[in-house]
Order: sequence, then C-alpha cells, then structure tokens
Amino acid sequence: MTKLVDVPAQFDDRSFDQFAAAFSRASADGGRLLFDAHATEWASPYGLVGLLAAGQAARSSGGEAPLLTVPTAPEVLSYWSRAGFFRGARELFEIHGKVPRGQSTADSDVLLPVTAVRASEDVHDVVGHIQQRATAILSGELGIDPKATMGFAMALSEACQNIVEHAGTGGWVAVQSYHWRRRLARRVVVIAVADAGVGFRASLEPTHGRRFGDRWGDATALEAALIQGVSRFRDPGRGQGLKGIRNYVSRWDGKIAIRSGTARIAIVPSWDDDVPLAEGLPPFPGSQVLLIIPEQKARHA
Amino acid sequence: MIHSIDVSAVLRQAVRASYADLVTRATGRAVREHIEQVYAAQTGGVARMDFTGVRCIDYSCADEIVAKLLRERIRVLVLRGCSDAHLEALAPVLEGHGLAALLERADGTLDGLGRRESTDALLEELVALHLAARGAGGVVALVAA
Repeated sequence: MTKLVDVPAQFDDRSFDQFAAAFSRASADGGRLLFDAHATEWASPYGLVGLLAAGQAARSSGGEAPLLTVPTAPEVLSYWSRAGFFRGARELFEIHGKVPRGQSTADSDVLLPVTAVRASEDVHDVVGHIQQRATAILSGELGIDPKATMGFAMALSEACQNIVEHAGTGGWVAVQSYHWRRRLARRVVVIAVADAGVGFRASLEPTHGRRFGDRWGDATALEAALIQGVSRFRDPGRGQGLKGIRNYVSRWDGKIAIRSGTARIAIVPSWDDDVPLAEGLPPFPGSQVLLIIPEQKARHA
Repeated sequence: MIHSIDVSAVLRQAVRASYADLVTRATGRAVREHIEQVYAAQTGGVARMDFTGVRCIDYSCADEIVAKLLRERIRVLVLRGCSDAHLEALAPVLEGHGLAALLERADGTLDGLGRRESTDALLEELVALHLAARGAGGVVALVAA
C-alpha cells in the first residue's frame, strides 16, 4: 500500500515539522511512500535537502523506491532544477512529472546547488566551489567584511563535516542567497545541511549518555553538542567545529538551528522569533542544520 | 635550528590532490602524519610552519595539525604566511587548548598567538637559543631567515 506524505506549499524550516509529522505517520507501518509536492509553491534550501533526507530514509528502509510527484508550477520546478535538487532526487525517488534538465546556476542566487556530501573529498569540493562564488555575495551584497568571507567557508566546511564524521551515511548541502522579504526584509545567505543518519543522540550516547542519566534525549544531546561542545570522540580537540560555527554566526548576527530526532536547538538572533530549544517534535531521522547570515544592518540602513 | 615546514607543499604531498584548502579532519590528519614522518628526527624542537599558498584552514584542520603538533611534537612553533582568515581558525583553537605559538609578521617581527601567559616565554626561549633577537622598542624578530 502506498502512503502519502504531503510536501508543504511553503516548504522551509518553519513548515518542516509539519512535513516530519506526515513522514513519521506514513512510514510507521512500512509500505511505499509517495512524497506529493505537486502543490508546493516554494521551497527553501532547507526544505530541499530535508526532502532528500526523507527520501534517503525511505529508501534505506528497504522495499521499493519512494515516489515523488514534482511541483506543477513551472517556475517552482525550474527553481528546484536550478538548485540541483533533481541530481540527488533521481538516485532516491521514482519521479513523476516532467523535470527540466541541465539548467545553469551561473547567474542565479544559488551559491551552491544541492550537493551530495559523503566523504572528505566532497567537503573539499564544496569549500572550493563556495569560495569562488560567495565572496562577491557576502561582501558585495551582505556588507560582510571581505576578510570574514573565509569564515563562511570554514563554517560551511564544519557543517558538512558533521555528516562525514558523525552521520554514518551521506547527506546534502545547499547554499543560497535571497531577499527575505517576509521575515526580515533583508538579503540573507542560507546554508542548509541534512542527512538521514544516526542523529546527535545516537552519535553521542555511547560516550555521554550515562553522564546525563534520565535527562538524556535528543534535546540534551543537541545542547551538549552545540552549547557545551562535546563530541563522541574523547580527543580534547573535538567539538571545535560547532563552536566555531556558533562564534561565526553570532559575530554576524546570524542564526544557527539544528534539528535532530524530536528536538531542535537554535542560537536565536534578535531579528528572529524562534525558540532556543524545542522538544517533542515529530521524529525525523538524522540531523538538519540551518545557518542564516543576514545583510548587515549598517549597510542595510 | 629552526625546522621549516611548507604547509602547502605538505598538503599536496600528503593527500595527492591539488587542494588549496586545509579543510576536514581527514586532511588535517594526513598532513600532520606527513609532517611527523618527515620531521620524526627533529621532535621537540623549534619549527616554522609556512601557510603561504594555503587558501582556507578550518577549525578541524587547525586542531588536527597545529594543536596536536604543539601538544605532542613541537616546543616552539612559529607561524608565517598567515592571513587574517587563517588566524580566524588558528587563534580560537590555540586558546581552546591553552596553547601558544608565535606569529611571524610580514616585517619579520614576532607576535604571540594563543595563550598570552605562554607567548612571552616562547619569545624568551627563541632569544636564549639565539634564533631571535630583540630590536628597538623590544620587538623580537628571527635572526636567520
């Protein structure tokens, strides 16, 4: 029996829990999944990599490949194609609907199309690619000191390495710049990273779970990783990556949010109304990381 | 004697790829192990690590290479060819470990990087070894390029 998973009309980090709930319900008793995106009007990079992670999870549970009906709106379909979504999707889904092919990202705001991250070499490629494209956007459009654009590459590298080092499977990253009219009325650059791997709790549990006793869970694991800088490795240098991302994001008044399992943790800037820690969310496999760097206020003013 | 380490060259040799970025822990580990092999007989001394030609270094590589070499192999480490971007990763990693290194500026003078309490001692050690000398105003510079 095929079970339906509705992809939200506006698919981003805000509507992701709605998607996760639908995914969780549909995948509870097995069977083939149909991801229905025909009515989707917009998807953020976070939505796109999250959808691939759901496909990865559905695929890895065995049985037939999950189905995906693509958006019917031509401009939405065109964007998903330009963003590189279908390169990854073709490996995971049986796709229904006509998909445009071979569109260039050279003149778009897609700084890094949806890119698979499986190994250290992929992170090198991602960092090499982003440095060619990001400097002009970050310093020219967002007003970030050109010297600090390398910090962006470092943050991106560390976010991708979480997949390589901890997920136990591959994942995806996408970077995009756009004008965020509804929520901020400024330009932003967004990094979205997602996988359907073991997640933070399972990664940290063997080395840290006992220390937290009954409190141990998805939220505690996220707090331990992002706030306390703990790592599953006992090497004292581990855990620097998320700390470095946190420092970079804070310096530029940005946001970091990490969702794993049934929890989400965020460092929330003044311009955002997200909660620092959300628990009891619909379960979703692996980890999903969102970094947002906004246009700097002095420049915007 | 100061042992010179050309990080960009080591990167090419260690990973056998044309990478310009020192990113990922795996790459950092490969670079460090290559340095350890090449400089095995020179453990515990003074080394100058040249980052010229390295485009980006991330926290994982900074930790895997610089912090681990300082903890286990090198007593006094002079970093040269460092851009502000390199220092964004190197400084917090050193501070996080309570470690210190010396930074060779473009004019040859040396500054401390990392744990401030330790950097004066590092400068004094280089002066005592006649590898550096104090100039006008008390600034310290290496004596042999």
